Amino acid sequence: MKYDVIVVGGRIGGSISSLFASRNDVDVLMIEKRQEIGSPVQCAEGTTFSTFETLEMKPSKKYICSEIRGAQVHAPDGRTMKVEEGMTDGNILNNNTISEGYVLDRRVFDKYLAIESAKVGTDVMVKTTVKDLIRKEGKVCGVVAKHLGETMEIKADVVIAADGVESNLAYKSGINSIKNPDDICSCAQYELVGLDIDPNLLEFYFGRTVAPGGYSWIFPKGEGIANVGVGVRNSTETAYYYLKKFVSKFDATPVELNIGGVPLSGPMDKTYNDGFLVVGDAAGQVDPITGGGIHITASCARIAGEVAAEAIKEENVSSMSLKRYDELWRDEFEDNLKTSFKFRKAFDKLSDSDMNALAEFFENNDLEKISKLTTLKFLGKHPNLLKLLKDLL
Amino acid sequence: MRYVVESCGYCGACVAVCSNKLLELTENEIIIREGCKNCGRCEKVCPLGALISEDAQ
Repeated sequence: MKYDVIVVGGRIGGSISSLFASRNDVDVLMIEKRQEIGSPVQCAEGTTFSTFETLEMKPSKKYICSEIRGAQVHAPDGRTMKVEEGMTDGNILNNNTISEGYVLDRRVFDKYLAIESAKVGTDVMVKTTVKDLIRKEGKVCGVVAKHLGETMEIKADVVIAADGVESNLAYKSGINSIKNPDDICSCAQYELVGLDIDPNLLEFYFGRTVAPGGYSWIFPKGEGIANVGVGVRNSTETAYYYLKKFVSKFDATPVELNIGGVPLSGPMDKTYNDGFLVVGDAAGQVDPITGGGIHITASCARIAGEVAAEAIKEENVSSMSLKRYDELWRDEFEDNLKTSFKFRKAFDKLSDSDMNALAEFFENNDLEKISKLTTLKFLGKHPNLLKLLKDLL
Repeated sequence: MRYVVESCGYCGACVAVCSNKLLELTENEIIIREGCKNCGRCEKVCPLGALISEDAQ
């Protein structure tokens, strides 16, 4: 068996890579290890409007559960700060897009993307695990896959690894992809039914007792249903422990449990090799503050599919040729991801009392009218925050 | 490292952090290949506590 492109992984990164490669007239095979694309959900399912601009696709009610118009942030002491539509221009929150967008039904959305890809010619194999890469003279030229106990070799000019945080393929291709446990956000989430919540507002809860090293969230899906989850880092207790604790305050019923590990280390130093590209969570294309990655992955996966197809047509799939993918996606996202990583490292140093002080400051001051003098007076009272600000600047 | 398959959520976080790349996520199971030094990195990121260091048993 031989294809121009093999895409490993059938979620958003895989389906979009394969969709855009197939649209550019190359033969594509997408391999998914699970028997059902889109399941299990490993995501809070929030994304931005820009995802659909990237896909040149009109958003559909088939997979959109709710439209988000703002966010509410809860400090450890219970103070809240609301981030509403139009308030984030020029602010880091804008780049990290937590306040506007959609909450998706990923099970439907992922399958929809796979179907769109199949419609333009992508072959799909499900319940098939890629065990290894085939390499010849150092160049990746296919995969060893296993389906229902049968092992097979499938050749390809380019292999795109879109196989998630659990990817071993980048490492097998010669790229160092081992993550530091401190950079992995360990997440657990219930889909809860029977909540009395604002259907258009995301909620984020911070604090050592709520979610050490991360945050808890409520992402509404309409009709009193929401993804309610917790992400933790460097914690002695599991994410599930904190999830049970967090949801105990709601009189609501869980109908689904989702688990995930989110890489918050920023992107890998290298995302290409001879005959090989890596996209999505596998490449660390995730915002290190919010943990959101759908919009970034969508764009990077499109670039990967297009660059792979172009390289095949030019009959040059060398590392030098495929480097274009790395350059193009870094042009679009690297600065923001690096800034976000810097902020995440700074936020890691915030104590609960620092966060409470910040919340009090924002509660008592109009965000758009805060003077330098007011800010300086505030920082003078909070030397730890002043030090962090100096580190950031 | 002891793996409790009944507690596994198949998220693959453990695979991402294994410093010797000894772990593999198949559809519904984590495979631990020989050579595990019981370093505890995977235990640290497991959301459900499905991986337990041998000395913690």
